Amino acid sequence: MTDLATPASGGMAPAGPAGPAGASPAPRPPAIPGPLDVLRVAWRRLRRMSTALALLFAVAAAAIVGTFVPQEGISPAVGDWRSGAAGPGAGAARVMDALDLFGIFSSWWFLALVVLLFTSLTGCLLPRYRAFARVVRRPPAGGRNLRRLAEHHELTTAAEPEEVLAAARRVLRRTPLRRYRLRVLAPGESPTGHAQLAAERGHWREGGSLCFHTAFYVLLLGAVIGQSFGFTGQVNLVEGQTKTDARLTYQSSTVGRFFALDDHPGFALTLDDHDVTYYDDGGEGAVRTPTVRAYRSEISLTDPGGGVTVAQTRVNHPVRHDGMTIYQARSGYAAHLVLREKATGEPVADTVIPLGAAAGLPNTWSGQEKLSLGGRFQSDDGGTAELPQMALDMLLFPSAPTVVETAAGPTPVGSSPELGEPLRRGSLYLGDLGLEQARPLSAIREAWTPDQRVDDVDLAVGESVAVVGGLYTLELAGVDQWSGFQVSHQPGRLLLLAGAVLVLVGLVPSLYAYRRRIWVDVRSSDDGSEGSTVVLAGVALQRQQVFAEELDSLHHALAGALPAAPPERPVT
Amino acid sequence: MNDPQLASTSTTLFNAALVTYIVAMVATFFRLAYTRVRPAGVLASPTTVGTRVGYAATALTVAGAALHAGSIGTRWAAAGRVPWANMYEYSSIVAFLAIVAGLALVQGKFGYGHLMGFVLFPAILMMVVATMLYTEPGPVQPALDTYWIKIHTAGAMTASSIFMVAFAATALYLVKDIAERRVAGSSTAFGGSTVGAASVAGTLERPEGFVGEEPLDQVEASPAAQREVLSPVLFPVVPAVVTAAFVMLVWRSPVGALAAGSVMALAGIATWYAVPYLPPAAKLDALAYRTTAFAFPIWTFAVLAGAVWAEEAWGRYWGWDPKETGSFFTWVIYAAYLHARSTRGWRGQRAAWVAVGGFAALMVTYFMVNLWIVGLHSYAGV
Repeated sequence: MTDLATPASGGMAPAGPAGPAGASPAPRPPAIPGPLDVLRVAWRRLRRMSTALALLFAVAAAAIVGTFVPQEGISPAVGDWRSGAAGPGAGAARVMDALDLFGIFSSWWFLALVVLLFTSLTGCLLPRYRAFARVVRRPPAGGRNLRRLAEHHELTTAAEPEEVLAAARRVLRRTPLRRYRLRVLAPGESPTGHAQLAAERGHWREGGSLCFHTAFYVLLLGAVIGQSFGFTGQVNLVEGQTKTDARLTYQSSTVGRFFALDDHPGFALTLDDHDVTYYDDGGEGAVRTPTVRAYRSEISLTDPGGGVTVAQTRVNHPVRHDGMTIYQARSGYAAHLVLREKATGEPVADTVIPLGAAAGLPNTWSGQEKLSLGGRFQSDDGGTAELPQMALDMLLFPSAPTVVETAAGPTPVGSSPELGEPLRRGSLYLGDLGLEQARPLSAIREAWTPDQRVDDVDLAVGESVAVVGGLYTLELAGVDQWSGFQVSHQPGRLLLLAGAVLVLVGLVPSLYAYRRRIWVDVRSSDDGSEGSTVVLAGVALQRQQVFAEELDSLHHALAGALPAAPPERPVT
Repeated sequence: MNDPQLASTSTTLFNAALVTYIVAMVATFFRLAYTRVRPAGVLASPTTVGTRVGYAATALTVAGAALHAGSIGTRWAAAGRVPWANMYEYSSIVAFLAIVAGLALVQGKFGYGHLMGFVLFPAILMMVVATMLYTEPGPVQPALDTYWIKIHTAGAMTASSIFMVAFAATALYLVKDIAERRVAGSSTAFGGSTVGAASVAGTLERPEGFVGEEPLDQVEASPAAQREVLSPVLFPVVPAVVTAAFVMLVWRSPVGALAAGSVMALAGIATWYAVPYLPPAAKLDALAYRTTAFAFPIWTFAVLAGAVWAEEAWGRYWGWDPKETGSFFTWVIYAAYLHARSTRGWRGQRAAWVAVGGFAALMVTYFMVNLWIVGLHSYAGV
């Protein structure tokens, strides 16, 4: 394809770097290229535009795969693909797993692609920076053979050369956005031997392109800083609850390699109030599913020093506090339940259980809660008693439920997501429930059997019913709301924004600006009389059509600015 | 908030605009057929009838766009929010903007009014798809309820519509370039070669070349010669089969497949017929490049604005959500196109195929990601 692509056919190693084939007395190249030569050839190949293109296509291909193959941590479908329930089957999924196809963007080969792309970019940019620095400092050069240029105009005028040059200078600087760099060449300096005004502009094309490409280093740096020094944690709070910003508080978190425990500002986050408002759409039927208008959380942030800040977060309106940003992320109902010993009225469990939206059921929240882990206890009479594990599996309807037909048969669902007369429908499970496992209850719950279910109860707020054969009472003390927040520290943010701005600032001129040179060459009339002959000529590296129009309009402007030649003068 | 009367007015106007566009498209193709090709073969000039039909076609296109604007405006009023919060609305506006961009760029700036049919055709297809995705105007969820929808989504729509125009130009360039090269290859007459953009560009340092290098004289053997070198069978059959297969795959509707296939067959045969009347490949290449270069910064802006919005709404600027990934690979492919045009060995047809790939990526990102894949942008689906 190019001079470097010397095929290593016939057992001959490629010639040394860029050694011209015909350089006669050159020493015979070594049969086996040294590691330095290999590196040099690799570097040159990497710098080629066709290599950059191939790398771009490879990145695009990876991204296409990453769009259609579910990605870990982004799509819940990964599990189904691995088990073969979805996608091409379990066998193929194992192969895909080996290729990191479920986590492309954190895979080593994608990282390698990005590194190669940036290396190639660096290789392309370094010489261009150097060339640009040289070119941009050079004053416009004089022009020769102007009449041979495709774009040239001639005019004669009664004005003297100095006046012509002054007029040309004004014309070329007439619009502030289209300013040419100018240089006046005395007759002795110019290649034509006449006074000349050399003008040049459009360095922004290359400058913009350099700025655009350089911006990607800024973006990369911002992303790397964000990854290494950043923190993102998820925390759920029921109304009235307070949690402190510390590593263990968060339900889940991603912690940058260099984000230390002391880097947490350590404020206390209190959810004072959370409310969800709805539009009045969503149908008039028995089950309304209106669109949420807003999730609003009133929060208090108490600094370790004691200062309190009160703020409100909504979706799209995060709160920034002490280097952390608090986003409204999740929302739901929480049931406040009290389990009492019937005989004594002593509370056994008093708990507020955050509930999640039940999958596939409108206006229905579900959740599980451990009430007792059971175990062996010393009883009053000195013997031991085996107490079973006890757990609750519940549904909450924020307003009176109605029964709808679903795939699983008639199922009760809430009539509206708004809090009306909430009803909790719960099942109490007793027995060996596996509650000691360190797994989410929703997963443990899958193994519970119908014969472990001892009670099914419906509870309205304030009601209590007897359960477990009258040993206990269960009371629904109230229904609260909980709100989930993401708390993030993203140190690279402003750098990324700067990179994004640079991308755009560079991109537009790199596509629209164009390099062009214009010369105004002025010669005193040959016959020694007053006046001069002017050649206005120019050349453009890109966008020649636009340039032709521009030069035309400059020609008219210049002709208009100069006194016309006396009519009797012959045009030379 | 949600006014059903206004919503139905909007739909009526939409249908009226669609019908007007179809008539305008037929008129533009009619005008194309009533064109004389000069012996030099460079420019086609319409006959008297062709001129009149051309005026009518332009008037109809403008009228259709006015009706369409009315449809979008009433939808705006009916929904009480920006009218681009679901796929129906988005598709409708992309079609509208593509036609406006066609009128402004293809017809206005470049003066190729007779090519408007090729802009109208994809826009009409977009509108037909929009009707299949129709949803009543309604409020939007909190994540969308911000001024960023005006910035990010408007940018994405504008860029998509101009990419659509660029795609039409790229497709025409490819067809014309192939025809020119085949005629040049088969012609034995001295000087009887036409020169595609690529072969001009190949001799120059840069794709657009240096001033002073006049394009070689274009001489065509006869207007029909370019048509004869292209297969009148493949042109309707390939798009028809591909489209019919796609419709069968997605909707499993033989009637739909037949209808869509027939429409594509007609479009294919119209393109085949139009080949001699198309501007020279070099000019079509310039049109394709300028429109792509116009859309690319807007797309870049839309993607970046989306990242800023994502940071505010979801707490991260980039999460490789399917939509983000899709918009990224679309961006990368178009970036590759812009680079390919200044790379030796890639100019001309090869670069144009990259641009075709870019548009395919854009459509995949828009339709497939919204309709087939669950992601954070899924609310925008239907």
